[in-house]
Amino acid sequence: MTVMVGLRNLKPIEVLNKDALSNIHLNSLELLEKMGVKVYSKEALTILEESGADVDRKKQMAKIPPYLVEEALRKAPKSFKLCARNPKNDVKLDGKHICCGLDGTGLSTIDLETGERRPSTKDDVAKSALIIDALKGADLYFPSVTPLDFPKHAHVLHEYDATVNNTEKHFMSGGTYLPEEAIYLIKMAVAVAGGLKELRERPILSAVACMMSPLILPLAETDAMLEFSKQGIPVVAMTMPLTGATGPITLAGSVLIGNAQILGINTVIQMKYPGTPLIYSSFPLSMEVRTGAFAVSFPEATMVAVGHIQMARNYGLPNFGGGNISSAKIPDEQAAYEKALCGLMCMLAGGDICGTIGLLENYTVLSYEQLLIDYEMYDMMLRLVQGIDVNEDTLALDTIYKVGPEGHFLAEKHTLDHTKDVWIPMLADPSPYGTWKDKGAKSVVDVAKEKAKEIIATHKPAPLDRDMKKRLAEIIKEGEKGIPH
Amino acid sequence: MQEKQAVLSELENAVKDFDREAAVEAARKALKIGMDPIEAIEKGLTKGLREVGSLFGKGELFITHLIAAAETMSSAIKVIEPEILARKAKRKVLGRVVIGTVAGDIHDIGKNLVSCLLTAAGFEVHDVGKDIPTEKFIEKAKEVEANVIGASALMTVTTPAQKELADAITKSGLKAKLVYIVGGAAVTPQWAEEIGAAYAPDANSAVKVIKSLMEIRK
Repeated sequence: MTVMVGLRNLKPIEVLNKDALSNIHLNSLELLEKMGVKVYSKEALTILEESGADVDRKKQMAKIPPYLVEEALRKAPKSFKLCARNPKNDVKLDGKHICCGLDGTGLSTIDLETGERRPSTKDDVAKSALIIDALKGADLYFPSVTPLDFPKHAHVLHEYDATVNNTEKHFMSGGTYLPEEAIYLIKMAVAVAGGLKELRERPILSAVACMMSPLILPLAETDAMLEFSKQGIPVVAMTMPLTGATGPITLAGSVLIGNAQILGINTVIQMKYPGTPLIYSSFPLSMEVRTGAFAVSFPEATMVAVGHIQMARNYGLPNFGGGNISSAKIPDEQAAYEKALCGLMCMLAGGDICGTIGLLENYTVLSYEQLLIDYEMYDMMLRLVQGIDVNEDTLALDTIYKVGPEGHFLAEKHTLDHTKDVWIPMLADPSPYGTWKDKGAKSVVDVAKEKAKEIIATHKPAPLDRDMKKRLAEIIKEGEKGIPH
Repeated sequence: MQEKQAVLSELENAVKDFDREAAVEAARKALKIGMDPIEAIEKGLTKGLREVGSLFGKGELFITHLIAAAETMSSAIKVIEPEILARKAKRKVLGRVVIGTVAGDIHDIGKNLVSCLLTAAGFEVHDVGKDIPTEKFIEKAKEVEANVIGASALMTVTTPAQKELADAITKSGLKAKLVYIVGGAAVTPQWAEEIGAAYAPDANSAVKVIKSLMEIRK
């Protein structure tokens, strides 16, 4: 398969014009100042109060003046790296490069052997991380699912353990729900990085904290985020408004409420730990108005995510939102069209971390087949956003003259020289019916299943040494005792 | 002896480098030093082509490379051919193929692909071109004592020419001597069966089908 360098040459599409951008920004400031945010974290309230916000401790409300919010935006870095255990896998977030991310953290897995849905295990984390390690253009690992066969309060530690043993790529932790989880996770990353100083210099770990809509900075997530920020670990501030339920039903209103939330948490983080790398992240949901069911990739959700990507770009903050997501239950046609449409929209809009590969049913179910299908879609999209490069060589005038009106280009040197630039599928089968039938008439899901099995059976990631494995096991044991449960 | 070895290497490398000019140059040298033309092909050009084919089989090279190698070899053979005729020698080939796009149809890229892959597989290919009347196929097949006739059609309206050719093959008494295979975007396996021809859905399978049918004929 070809892996394109994740470079966007096309001008990002815009769903918000200049007036709309400033309208949403100014109204976000006004919301934060006049209504304020609910802040469950004592530490966050203290930080905001000491910085000059109007804090009501009893009501746990903070009204944040616009100058603070804007100061905090200036303190947030505009570009940074997500480092990997092996530096060759480092990822740069600079608004030009695109990298492939995952979503999570799910609870079920569609078993690769039986095809049945079952509770997810640590082995699923290990195997999906291994596949990410094998896929050249997959840039980081985010635990697709959580290990339900291990103590739940220490799930983050087991997720990291399964990851570092199977991939050298960057680890983006999914939900961290307690500050203590963060502390033990950081301990593990310090061990792997070779020291705290080394980890600060090369953050091989980043962590997601999910805010609550409307306008709530929750206790545990906020405190965990502060723990990560203290050590200079990049944080992913995620908003997930559900249109019509936890956010307004109109797109602009949900973009506004999510944006205000991210500006709010960024203010807490940057006022205490200025310069903390922060990723503006949005995974909105649409409410299906007939039933109240929710869907991550219906047009409204996609458009809110795209609106947020544009807001983030306007602030100069790296972003992560939308991507190849779906509410489909199996890797079927619904999964394919929802993922393709949402994924491409987000990439065209200027997504920094795209892909969001591997999960079904609103980020809750891992399918190994879908992981590879999503990766193929992502790889295809990367080719699309490269655009058309026009220069003397790519116009191929000399070759066109040489071949003439009746020749062909098959054997020309120019063709051979550029063969390497052509996109090659890992799964898709372009052969005609007869040939496809002779090969077993396999659907793309069948092909993906075989490929997943092949990778799991043959890919050998760089192993951790035995002492390191032992050290990590010790920290996990401490964590299982030390994390409140 | 050393000189001969050097020229053979040049022929082989020209194919591996997809360098048509170098191949033609090396072919001229081969004639100049009086090399056996069959040896020049078999121990030089074919050796290079076989190596490219094997890398193609492993997925390390692409179809464009295989075609470029086959075309490079064909350019050199054009130089050597008169000498083969003069010596009344015969190349060892898997078979002799006459291939073309039928009358009324000028779509030839698929047919070109099949030609190249057959050459790469070790067939002697006589590509008669596009928009070729039925008699021309028959004439050429008789001339080169073909084992295979391949006829391509891209448009539904030109497929009747494939039937006309099938009838002409029967009438001319060639039917028992050769494999008639049809292909092209307008062709279905049902149509091929109806006119009594073999069928392959794409260039790779065309090579496979022809090889297996020739085996059966033996």
